[in-house]
Amino acid sequence: MPVKKFLITFTPDLVSEPITFRLVRDFDLVINILRAEIDEMGGRLMLALEGSGPQIQRAVKYLEEAGVQVQELKEFIRKDEVRCTNCGLCISICPVSAYQVDKATWKVVFLNEKCIACGMCIDACPPGAIKLRAQS
Amino acid sequence: MKRSYEEINDKIRKGDAVVLTAEEIIEVVEREGVEKATKEVDVVTTGTFGAMCSSGAFLNFGHSEPPMKMIKVWLNGVPAYGGLAAVDAYLGASEPREDGSIEYGGAHVIEDLIAGKGVHLRASSYGTDCYPRREIDTWISLKTINQAYMYNPRNAYQNYGVATNSSERTLYTYMGKLLPRYGNATYSSAGQLSPLLNDPQLRTIGIGTRIFLGGAQGYVAWEGTQFKTNAEMSHGVPTGSSRTLAVIGDLKQMSSEFVRALTFHKYGVSLGVGIGVPIPILDEEVMKGVCIRDDQIFAPVLDYSVQSRNKKAIRRASYAELRSGHIDINGKSVRTSSISSYQKAKLIAETLKKEIIKGEFCLTEKVASLPEERAQLPLDLHTKEEVE
Repeated sequence: MPVKKFLITFTPDLVSEPITFRLVRDFDLVINILRAEIDEMGGRLMLALEGSGPQIQRAVKYLEEAGVQVQELKEFIRKDEVRCTNCGLCISICPVSAYQVDKATWKVVFLNEKCIACGMCIDACPPGAIKLRAQS
Repeated sequence: MKRSYEEINDKIRKGDAVVLTAEEIIEVVEREGVEKATKEVDVVTTGTFGAMCSSGAFLNFGHSEPPMKMIKVWLNGVPAYGGLAAVDAYLGASEPREDGSIEYGGAHVIEDLIAGKGVHLRASSYGTDCYPRREIDTWISLKTINQAYMYNPRNAYQNYGVATNSSERTLYTYMGKLLPRYGNATYSSAGQLSPLLNDPQLRTIGIGTRIFLGGAQGYVAWEGTQFKTNAEMSHGVPTGSSRTLAVIGDLKQMSSEFVRALTFHKYGVSLGVGIGVPIPILDEEVMKGVCIRDDQIFAPVLDYSVQSRNKKAIRRASYAELRSGHIDINGKSVRTSSISSYQKAKLIAETLKKEIIKGEFCLTEKVASLPEERAQLPLDLHTKEEVE
């Protein structure tokens, strides 16, 4: 089953809406909460949704109709392969092991599908090879 | 058996030299033994690419019309030391830009120069009868200036400590970002590929040794600062920071691939420098040195939340363990990161190997040895009488 990542932003009046519960019960999705923050500006939830294409599409439609902003996270950061020296400082910083060493080439590989957009690697990269990619 | 520099260089010139990297030699010695490997192999190449803060470049800008004795000098806003003759300056890699930013510095200017980019030169002076000009504001590049040579007072550390952080907050250090509660550990040596770990007593490396420096051919100039020989030993190599090299080479011949500006967030600027040293296999003793393996080289794990020059080692870890991706600290599996690039270290050892095989790089015998014994002195507060 495909897994897609979404950043869900909702206003303070929607904070009490049991969004994740409904995604599981009504849409039969396997969900993984990657990040969750609530403050006076509202809530931001990063979810990985696992399910068939139509299932995920229906869930996104439900979220939009409920009044929350849904953005699919395809690429949060980008690693400049020319700037990167393949040192590996990012490897032990990343909480989800999205950076790994390819032991055949000793190059540092970024696995976008693992990235949870925490941004911790950005200021940990000495040659400045890791940049935030502007979200569309 | 014995082999002389003349024999090795003759073979290099004829294209007959047998050259292996410090990684490749390990397997050969394991398979064939030291004696046979010594007979077969002429040179072993090493490499490292790491953050080397104690680096910089001497520059001579040429004389302006009317001429000027530059007292204060800035390159892209980064102060360079002008307390030399009229148009000579030394640009330190770790010097920050004068606008309060510690994210941009001398290393970036050096990288820009090597990349062929134009650099903004500004200088001021008090003016003299022989040097009347008081201000200059112009652009330079490596094409327009006379000499530009890298002179790094301390590079290529023979082993170095591993950094971790026991405290409750993230630390920003020259060893990288250290996460709280032993969240990670970082190390910097290239281990089994590192130049000085492959010739631990510096039998073949000394003043005048020709080396690979930043993509060019450079030389060992002197002992590096903080050179010390009294570190504890295991498997014939020091188990903590020990010897260092001062190196020199022509910036105009260097490549951005092997010289890279680095910024350590909330610490400052450093320069990533690529160094490779060829080791001539003069006899079996030299061969025993170059076949050192990562599992035989140990480094102390140090807690950087201890804000003291004396950090007690939590434990020792081998480079094989460090490179596996995690080490055990007090029963916790802690993820590791290298600050130096093993990929570039390998590339340097391989590049140097190819250059020697092609006859483009001949070996030099050292002109003088580096110190056999040297202790590192601390800086304490003294009165004038106490130090005289």
